Order: sequence, then structure tokens, then C-alpha cells
Amino acid sequence: MSTFDPATKRRPNGAAFIIAAALAALGALLIWQGFAIPDKGGYAGIGSGALPKFVGFALLVLAVLHIVSGLRDAAPDMPRPHWGPVLWTVAGLALQVILLKPLGFSIASALLFACTAAGFGKNKLALTVPIGLALSLLIYGVFDQLLRLKLPAGLLERLIFGG
Amino acid sequence: MKHTLLSALFVAALAAPAFATDYMIMAPAAPGGGWDSTARSMQEVMQAEGIAGSVQVQNVPGAGGTVGLAQFASTAAGDPSQLIVGGYVMVGAILTNASPVSLADVTPIARLTGEAEGIAVSASSPIQTIGELVEMMKADPGSVSWAGGSAGGVDHITVGLLAKAAGVDPTKINYVAFSGGGEALAAILGNQVTVGISGVGEFLPQVEAGTMRMLAVSTADKWQGTDAPTLIEAGYDVNVQNWRMVAAAPGLSAEQKAAVSADIDKLVNSAGWKSMLETKGWANTYLAGADFDAQLAKDIESTTVVLKDIGLVK
Amino acid sequence: MSTFDFLLQGLTVALDPMILFYALIGVTLGTAVGVLPGIGPALTVALLLPVTYGLDPAGSLIMFAGIYYGGMYGGSTTSILLNTPGESASIVTALEGNKMARAGRGGPALATAAIGSFVAGLIATLALAFLAPYVVKLALVFGPREYFALMMLAFVTVSAAFGDSAMKGLTSLFVGLALALVGIDQLTGQARLSFGVPELLDGIEVTTLAVALFAIGEALFVASQGNTVVEKIEAVKGSVWMSRSDWARSWKPWLRGTLIGFPIGAMPAGGAEIGTLLSYATEKRLSKHPEEFGHGAIEGVAGPEAANNASAAGTLVPLLTLGLPTSATAAIMLAGFQQFGLQPGPLLFATSPQLVWGLISSLLVANVMLLVLNLPLIRLWVKLLTIPRHWLYAGILLFATLGTIGMNPSPVELGMLLLFGIMGFAMRLYCYPIAPVVVGLILGPMAEQQLRRALAISQGDWTTLVATPVAAGILLLATLALVVPLIMRMRGKGALLAQLASEED
Repeated sequence: MSTFDPATKRRPNGAAFIIAAALAALGALLIWQGFAIPDKGGYAGIGSGALPKFVGFALLVLAVLHIVSGLRDAAPDMPRPHWGPVLWTVAGLALQVILLKPLGFSIASALLFACTAAGFGKNKLALTVPIGLALSLLIYGVFDQLLRLKLPAGLLERLIFGG
Repeated sequence: MKHTLLSALFVAALAAPAFATDYMIMAPAAPGGGWDSTARSMQEVMQAEGIAGSVQVQNVPGAGGTVGLAQFASTAAGDPSQLIVGGYVMVGAILTNASPVSLADVTPIARLTGEAEGIAVSASSPIQTIGELVEMMKADPGSVSWAGGSAGGVDHITVGLLAKAAGVDPTKINYVAFSGGGEALAAILGNQVTVGISGVGEFLPQVEAGTMRMLAVSTADKWQGTDAPTLIEAGYDVNVQNWRMVAAAPGLSAEQKAAVSADIDKLVNSAGWKSMLETKGWANTYLAGADFDAQLAKDIESTTVVLKDIGLVK
Repeated sequence: MSTFDFLLQGLTVALDPMILFYALIGVTLGTAVGVLPGIGPALTVALLLPVTYGLDPAGSLIMFAGIYYGGMYGGSTTSILLNTPGESASIVTALEGNKMARAGRGGPALATAAIGSFVAGLIATLALAFLAPYVVKLALVFGPREYFALMMLAFVTVSAAFGDSAMKGLTSLFVGLALALVGIDQLTGQARLSFGVPELLDGIEVTTLAVALFAIGEALFVASQGNTVVEKIEAVKGSVWMSRSDWARSWKPWLRGTLIGFPIGAMPAGGAEIGTLLSYATEKRLSKHPEEFGHGAIEGVAGPEAANNASAAGTLVPLLTLGLPTSATAAIMLAGFQQFGLQPGPLLFATSPQLVWGLISSLLVANVMLLVLNLPLIRLWVKLLTIPRHWLYAGILLFATLGTIGMNPSPVELGMLLLFGIMGFAMRLYCYPIAPVVVGLILGPMAEQQLRRALAISQGDWTTLVATPVAAGILLLATLALVVPLIMRMRGKGALLAQLASEED
């Protein structure tokens, strides 16, 4: 998995700078929060704000190191990602987040299942959605009926399992 | 009002005998603490007495129960099968944390039990009496480290009140918060801290086994199971009782609330609960309905004053 | 002498055929439920406890023990096969175990986990029986400063065990530490980095982060490799059973894992995660094949799994001797004990020896039963990996999200799963090690709290951290673990490079 195809093209090393910027932003956020928290260190001498400041400064140092390494080293060989399958899968996850409450566990998860399958090359939704739905309903049934653990229920679950 | 009461009675009468509902009780504390054992005792008795079909307990520890309370308020809304155990500690924690979620965001049902706070040291500690301990605090408050529950909780409040009553600056106490009863107890037994404060019940088995010595209890009267003096007897005007309660989810209809209250009432009046209280050494201070709501409001008000007094709330 | 008699007496009760049957049912149920995502051993026991109510005391005790062990093992199974650890103690198992499963060595991974759990459970349960009173005295020596020293040792050894680039490893670790700061600070009750979002007051759940980074990040990464380049997951390569060399490489890690896991589990604030992490770091350092770590080294499954099980038995030490439940599972067990009329506390061994020894012998019998049940099942489990990969990954994501939904069905929590999944994908893309993020999230808060407790007790005197021999010794060990490899690397840089170069061929 970590062995990459050496034939993939060289990318400009912009990544190191973007990562550095992200680390610096996170570090600055932590330092700001660290100072914003009123110090209640008491006898310990260090309170709630100490660790955020420490981690924040460390992240700033790491950001600088990333810039240095970005200037010095050539970009590593990278596999060129195929964005299509990734987007399918992310879309499936996002749909589940959005639809979990309004439509219930089974429908939201069936869509996740189908989107992921599509991301991995099986895009016959007429086949994958029903399979996902059957699987989700089975899981819902096991959790609800056997384990008495409530998963978010929608119309479909109430229709089948009552309650 | 009359209508609500009638329908509540109707629902209670209908629901109670025929359907034993299932409950999920949240214990907003780490395993081993007081709320945890309250929740687990409820679980045991409700199942044994047939009040509920199945009862599950979920631990969500952190910050005097406000973590659990916040989660409960957000995830349990409108679900009459969800209960949360809480208590005096939570009242304080909500204030000190400036928690966005308060007891107004859940539906308090009833106060169940009350317990004295116990002040205890490891059996190998040189400290023999509460007087000696207070003298140490007067000489150098920082040298006396107290192990107890979350910052701003009843343990912390009691220590603050004791300091104030003894003429020690309450803001100068060296209070070390532990997240669960088990960890704090281990720190006391291992002589990591000078003294521990917690519910009497957590110390009594250790005292019986001779591994700990109880210095004082915080209630007005002596506590069953120990002959340790009360703080008042020892000359410090402190009277604290740590009560525990059960609350239901926010957003319940009057009928749902009445049904839950009826189940809790059945629990409290059951033989199983009485014997459970006996084995745990908890005092029954059951209070429900409007009386409890009024008492709760009063407690919240007085706690606010106390916390400001000892410098925990600005 | 009397200890031994009690144990034998307990065992003769436990070996009754009917009792053995109950043990089998318990182990089966425990494994079946423990395999479900999001349901760790604590929840498994909690959910199945009512099943034992109807039985006679001996039967229900042994079924309870079976459920407990079954739940523990079920969790490792999903970690290895699907990369979805259900509890923080089996996160480390997923690291190497899942890599092995993908390389067609899921069979040996599951086997070494099962046998390692058995060996560790056996030794640790015996240690519980004979050494509990001594171990608990040792455990109480550990206060905040000793725990802090232990955390430092864990930080140093564990960070050294991950990743080739120090900069990237440290970046991952500090991102984890930053994430650990989210939520209410236990010591002062102040909210940090929560920005008024109540769901964030809980902090970031370790299993949510681990599942997101491991399972979802991995799925996205594999998807990004496109469907033309078929990364073949071989379900079975070679034998499904452990080879001679697997045995040779496993037995020492089992023993070392037990040795590390048991005492740390017995400490009231130790926890199983630290034991598994330390075991992983130890195995990597001692292994003759350190280059295999990160690509499916069997030692990295054998050691942590043993440590996990040994630490579970270790948790019973403070529970049975002091009445202190120090983990979620222990608290559930406490509820179970009370059902048998057993009130754990300092006097338990003295007042109800029959029940205690009955429990200990039940644990031993259940442990054997677990092995009997699960070894034949391995053949079935690895079949899971033969299903076509679009179904497999769709199923993995369904299971991964189910774990979060089952525990906390909040859109915020699920949103975090997605966000961290994308983060895990990006980290894989740019070759950042994943595990240090989780390590930072687990160890960060523990280290911080113990440090601040230690300093509060000493009134801000930092020398307190080295004031006891135990704390000073552990810190010294941590310093050595940090400094020695640095010196070695500086001295032997040429040799190391040559060695690396030769391995490229």
C-alpha cells in the first residue's frame, strides 16, 4: 500500500507549504485559545491554558520545519489520486450525516453503501441500493430487537419494527 | 391543570401494570463513583422488581457531569425511556463551567437519596483528628492536598466551606480533582494526597477493613456506620448533604413525565430499593413533583452564593 | 496452600458438563456481540448480563466470564479484518493485524491474537489468583508523578516506533495532542477549544478518531488509487493456520505482552491502551524484522493482544482486593458481582472466598472455551475478505459508521468521522504516519492531568517529578530511550544507509 508506482508524474512541492500553513493556523488558534482561558493553575502553577500554548508553539515550529523542507527537498513521488471514486465515497458519507436524522439509519446507510460501492466500481444503483437497504435493516433489527440499542429511526424503521 | 393530572393518572394506570418499559440510564461520571452506583442500583432494582423490562446504564464521565448532561440534553430529547442520574455536584459544575446546558434543559423527576460527605485519611497517615488537619491547613493551606471529585463539585464546595468556617482563606485550599471515585480512592490509599473527601459510602468499606480512617462527616447528624464526629461537633459550622436525583429527557409531554414519575415512585417504594439503600448506606431523601422543583431551585440559588463566596464563580 | 485448594475446588465445580455448556454459550454470545462495531467488551457484558439472570449461581458466573472473554476477542476480530477498532485497547491490534489480513495472512493474525489472548489470560488469571495482594500494593505506589513518568516513557518509546521521518511523525503526534485539548478540562472544569458547541465538550472520542483515520481514510485512499490498478486483497496466502516461523515469532511477544499488560492493568489509572502501546513499541524494538512493522508484523499483533487480555485480568486486582473498579468493563463486572451477592471490597477474599475462587476458575475455563470456539472459526472469518472489494469496502464503511451511530447518534459525531476520514486520506497521500495522532489523543490528556495533579500536590515544585525512585527510574528510562537511538543514529548513519540500500535490491 505504501509502495508507489514510480511512473507517476512529479508534482510541485506546494503541498509542504500548504501543510505548513495549516499547521501554523492550528498552532495560532491553540496559542490564542491558551491565552484566552483564564488561568486557574492554583498550586500546580500551570492551568488549563498551558498545554494549548505548548502544543501551539510546537505546531508553529513544525510549520517552519515544513517550509524549510519544502524549500530544500524535491517533492516526493506521489501516486496521482483518482478523484472520482474518492468523491463518490465522500458523498456517501456526507449523505449519511445529513440524512441520518430525517430519514433514519437504514435509508441513510443504504445510500452510503451504494455510493461507496459506486466509488469502487459497482455503479448499478438499482442493485446496490436495495442490497444496502436490506443489510442496514438487518443491522437495525439486530440492534433494536436483540440488543435493545436504539439506532436513529425514520419512517421505514417505524413501519417495519414499530415504535 | 386538572386535565393534565387526570390524563397523567390515566396514562400511569394504563402503562404501569401492562407494559414494563425499557430504560437507558445515563451515569454522567466515570465508573465507580457515586452516580454510577446510583444508576446501577436503579438498574438492578428496576429489573428485579419488574418496573422495567430491561435497563441499561451508560457512563459518560467528565467535568461534574456537565459533559454527560450536555450529551443527554442533545441526544435524549423527547425520548421518555432515557433517564439521567445527577445531583448536587452537577448544580455546582454547571455554574463553575458556565455550562451552556443546565438542569433547566432536562426534566428533573425526583431526588432519590442523600449522603454525608466523609473526610478520610489513609490508615497510615499521622493525622488522627479533623482538628489536627485544620491546624495544618491554618499553618500552610497549600501543604494539605485534598483528593476529591470534579472542580466545583460538592467535595470541593465542602472543603471550601470547612476552610471558611475554620478561618482559612477558601481560595487558598489545594484541591486536586480526580475524574472518578476509583482513582481518587487509590490516591488516598497510596498516600499520594494528604486527605480525601467523598461520599461516606465510598470510604466505609475501606474504614471497616482498617485501611482508612474517617475524620469527620459533613451532615448535621452522625452518619450510620461510622462514629466519626460531624463537622459541627468538631466546631466548624458546616452542614452539607450530597443528594442524588434522577431526571428525564427534555421535551417530554405531561403524560410521559407522569409515567416516568410513576415508575420512579414505584422504584422508591419497592422492597428491593429499600434493601439496596440499606446495603449501600444511602439515606432515603425521596422528594418528587412540585416539592422537588422548589427544593431544586432553592439549592441552585444557595450553591451560586457559596461558589461565589469561595471564589469558584466570578 | 489454601489458595491452591480453593482454586482446585472451584475448577472441579467448573468442569461439570452442564457448566461447560454454559461457558460455551457465554463465549459464543460474547464473541457474536463483541464483533459488532461500536460495541466494546464493556458494552457487550452490559448488554448480555441479563441473559445470565435466570441461571444458578455457578452457571451464571461462568456464562458471565465467557461473555467477558468472548467480547474481548470479538473486538480484536473486527480490528484485524476490517480495521475498525471498537475500543481504544484494540487500536494497536488493528495496526499490524489489518495489514496482515490484507496480505493474505488474516488467519495467522487471528490465530496469534486468539492464542496470545489465551496465554495472557491464563497467566494473568493465575497471577490474579496468587499475586493479587502483592500486586495491589505495588499499584498503590503509583501516584500522579509515577503515572506522569509512565506516560512520558510511553510517549518516547511509542513515537520512536512509528514512521521514518521524525518531522512527519512529530507532526502527526502534535496534531493528535491538539485534538486532545478539545473539550472540558477535568481539573478546572473549563471548556477548551469547544467554541460553544456542546457536542465538543465531550472531547473527541478515541474510537471515532481511530475508525475515521484507519478505516475511512484507508478506504478513501484505496478508492483514490483507481479501479484500474487493482490492489488485490488476498484472503488467504499460504496456510490459514500459523506456520512454524509464526509460532517462533509469537511466543515471546505473548509472554512479554502479558508481563507488560498485567501490572499496568492493575494500576488504578493505568488502562489497557498504555499496555498495548508499550507492548507494540517493545516488540518493534526487539524484533528481528523491524522493517516488517507497518506492513503486517505478527509480533505487532501477538504482543498487544496479549497485553490487552493481561491488562483486563489486571483490572480485576484492584476490583477484587480493594473494590475499586478502574475501567468501564470492571464497573460492569461490579454490577455482575453484586448479582451474585458479592460485594467487592477490601474484605472480599476473606469474607466470600468460594465466590471469588469460583469466579477465577470460571475465568480460566472460559478462557479455554474461547480458544476451542474461535480457532475453528478463523477459517470462516477470513472468507469475509474474499468478497469482491466494492462490496467489502461498502460494508466496511457501513460498519465503521455504525460503530459511531450506535454509541452516539449525533450528526456532529458523524461529521467528525467524515472530517477525520478525509484527514486520514490526506495523511496517507502525503505519507504521514497515522497512529501517532491516535497516540497523542490517548496519552495527551492522561499525561497532562497527571502532571498537573503531581504539581498541585507538590505546590508547584517540579522536582517532585523525580522525588521517588520509581518516578525517577521510569523518567531515566524514558530519557535513555530518547537519547540512545539518537546517538546510535548519528554514529552509525553510514552503516544504516548502506543497510537500507541493500534492502532496496
